Amino acid sequence: MAAIEQYNYDIVRKFSIMALIWGALGMSAGLYIALELAFPLMNFDIPELTFGRLRPVHTTLVIFGFGGSALFATSYYIVQRTCQARLFSKSLANFTFWGWQSIVVLGAISYVLGYSQGREYAEFAWPLDLLITVVWIAYLVIYVQTVRHRSQPHIYVANWFFLAFILATALLHVFNNLAVPVSMFSMTSYSAFSGVQDAMTQWWYGHNAVGFFLTAAFLGMMYYFVPKQAGRPVYSYRLSIIHFWALVFLYMWAGAHHLHWTALPDWTSTLAATFSIMLLLPSWGGMINGIMTLSGAWDKLRSDPIMLFLITALSFYGMSTFEGPLMALKSVNALSHYTDWTIGHVHSGALGWVAMVTFGSMYHLIPRLYDTDMYSKKLMYVHFFLASIGIVLYITALWVAGIGQGLMLRGFDEYGNLAYSFIETVIFLKQPYIWRAIGGAFFLAGMLVMIYNVFVTIGRAKKEVEILEAKIAAKLASA
Amino acid sequence: MSETKKTGQTVQTTGHAWDGDIQEYNNPIPRWWLWSFYATVIFAIVYWIFYPAWPIGHSYTPGVMNTITYTVNGEEKTTHWNTRALLVRDMQTGEAAVKQRKHMQEVANASFSAILSDPKMIDFSSKIGKVLFEDNCAACHGMGGQGVVGLFPNLVDDDWLWGGRTEDIQNTISAGHIGFMPAFDKTFSEQQMDDVTEFVLSLSGQAKDKERVARGKVLFTGEGGGCYYCHNQQGTGIKSVGSANLTDHIWTIADVASQKDIMAKRTRVREVISHGVNRTMPTWKGRLSDEEIKLLTVYVYNLSGGK
Repeated sequence: MAAIEQYNYDIVRKFSIMALIWGALGMSAGLYIALELAFPLMNFDIPELTFGRLRPVHTTLVIFGFGGSALFATSYYIVQRTCQARLFSKSLANFTFWGWQSIVVLGAISYVLGYSQGREYAEFAWPLDLLITVVWIAYLVIYVQTVRHRSQPHIYVANWFFLAFILATALLHVFNNLAVPVSMFSMTSYSAFSGVQDAMTQWWYGHNAVGFFLTAAFLGMMYYFVPKQAGRPVYSYRLSIIHFWALVFLYMWAGAHHLHWTALPDWTSTLAATFSIMLLLPSWGGMINGIMTLSGAWDKLRSDPIMLFLITALSFYGMSTFEGPLMALKSVNALSHYTDWTIGHVHSGALGWVAMVTFGSMYHLIPRLYDTDMYSKKLMYVHFFLASIGIVLYITALWVAGIGQGLMLRGFDEYGNLAYSFIETVIFLKQPYIWRAIGGAFFLAGMLVMIYNVFVTIGRAKKEVEILEAKIAAKLASA
Repeated sequence: MSETKKTGQTVQTTGHAWDGDIQEYNNPIPRWWLWSFYATVIFAIVYWIFYPAWPIGHSYTPGVMNTITYTVNGEEKTTHWNTRALLVRDMQTGEAAVKQRKHMQEVANASFSAILSDPKMIDFSSKIGKVLFEDNCAACHGMGGQGVVGLFPNLVDDDWLWGGRTEDIQNTISAGHIGFMPAFDKTFSEQQMDDVTEFVLSLSGQAKDKERVARGKVLFTGEGGGCYYCHNQQGTGIKSVGSANLTDHIWTIADVASQKDIMAKRTRVREVISHGVNRTMPTWKGRLSDEEIKLLTVYVYNLSGGK
């Protein structure tokens, strides 16, 4: 269609489709490594298939591939619609698309080949870190320029969250990846920090990657799609301001709770624990604002699967942001740390909150991008129930695994001996690991149902356009 | 300004609208939210008062009324709350540590025969020994001590390369061993290899060819092969050098026991004579305490009934 769109939807479409593809690939990688944990034989003694290499492939594909692409897509969509301004610079926007996709592809390939910085969620080797920095600056420029050119007097709350996310991620990425390469032609580098400072920097990054990438940004998504889909005003403007600033200020301090009971100074540990506790209500502010927005229109939950996705996402957000501060307390952490409880917690946030809010938003977004309706509402429900069952199985299995292992590791017998050997705890983990993999398989199945639904939707939309254009052409010819 | 009804009361929106229809109510912050938030701040402040919290220059606020007392070289030391002191105190006066130390002392002061005749001490050693064994030994010897034929000795049977008395086992765990047998592939001709193999099998009554056995015996017990240096003239092995007893039916290196066919048995024995043996049992003294080694000794001794 030659008609010039008011907004740049092309870039939103590209990122949306890639989000779904990365989602399916990343979750498949996750399922595979979950199976490797239960059945170690599945690495077949092939180095490229071992857990250590595939694990960063999984996290990178789901966080940066799926989550990242979904954030680019929705933020580019939201900033245009809420600022009533076309996205700044089409070519720069395309650069962020191709740049980001190549980062994810190259990252995954480099991990499989064994190149990793060994920093969690920042495994990219230094050349890729540089590329990320350039792409991210382009993203910031596009976003700020678009906001500056807005035809709305006020900046909508979703954009605050996206801007905070872009700025904080830039800061975190640059400082955590300060490193000296071994040589110009080596993929290996040495961190600028050492020892406990290095660990501290890594977890300042790691936790705020969760805080800003996986929380603040997705709250931005929530602040647009929930009121839009519910057709109701946001519950409280005042709450949105307060919880935004509280969240942004408090998150930055909490990362050290990943290092309780280590060489980290005790005062740092205390600050991390207390700031984590103080984070509870600011996190819940977002949940309250989202859920209360729907108050008065609860009946929509019965007829609108998108609303089901969004509200479930907010509920999981509330649950995991309650669990998080709890686990950040030193005494709870003594039990939970180094167990699968941590993995379960992060997935109740990642699957329950991040993925569910993305699914809901995408089901709202995609028909609008292609000017059509979703092909099947029924399949949306199927997706919802597959995903929900998957999450519940996953989290429950890892609660059992984590708390069980934690208790075994600290269990004493009547003589004051540690009662269990390490290998006994590993044997205990096998059953929950199998259930976790089953949960993951449910979730992945839901994702595949969504992809099918979306691709049929897009295919039909394209056909409709073709038919329409043929009609117009025929009319023009006969005229 | 648009006005909207909400549960009976009239709430105004902020007056802005984005993307056509997105508006914001000007609802006050929920009271319970605000008070809960204040509660978490108060919790944090209280926490900061009692625990190390804020950095000041090169130091930090240590926290008040929350000290830990422990002993260093017989002297009592009191410090502000910190995780290292907490660990030290726990290891000194913690309930489990105190209990375990009492039993450890009993073991340290008792002879092996005293331990083995006291059901309480045997129970203690079987509990702690299981965990020590699984954490330190099972990687090679297997969780039950069954070993892997050809690689790691079986500790469950009653055959001992280095001696099965408690003192022998204790020595093995403390000092470790290097199990070595030279490779004979360059020493023996093909026929000599066949002959020695057949003789070795004859020691446990599994040989088929009497002529080979006779020739093999000369090599084994004479200077031709010199096997008797380590395995002695009868082939029963010498515990002090860890050489295998070839006259019983227990095989730790050559997997003869599981072979039915004479050809396969010969192949297995021949492999060992050709390539020799070179294996290491690591030294545990220094990694495990003397008491732990003693308890592990009792545990391993009891795995097989000892000898």
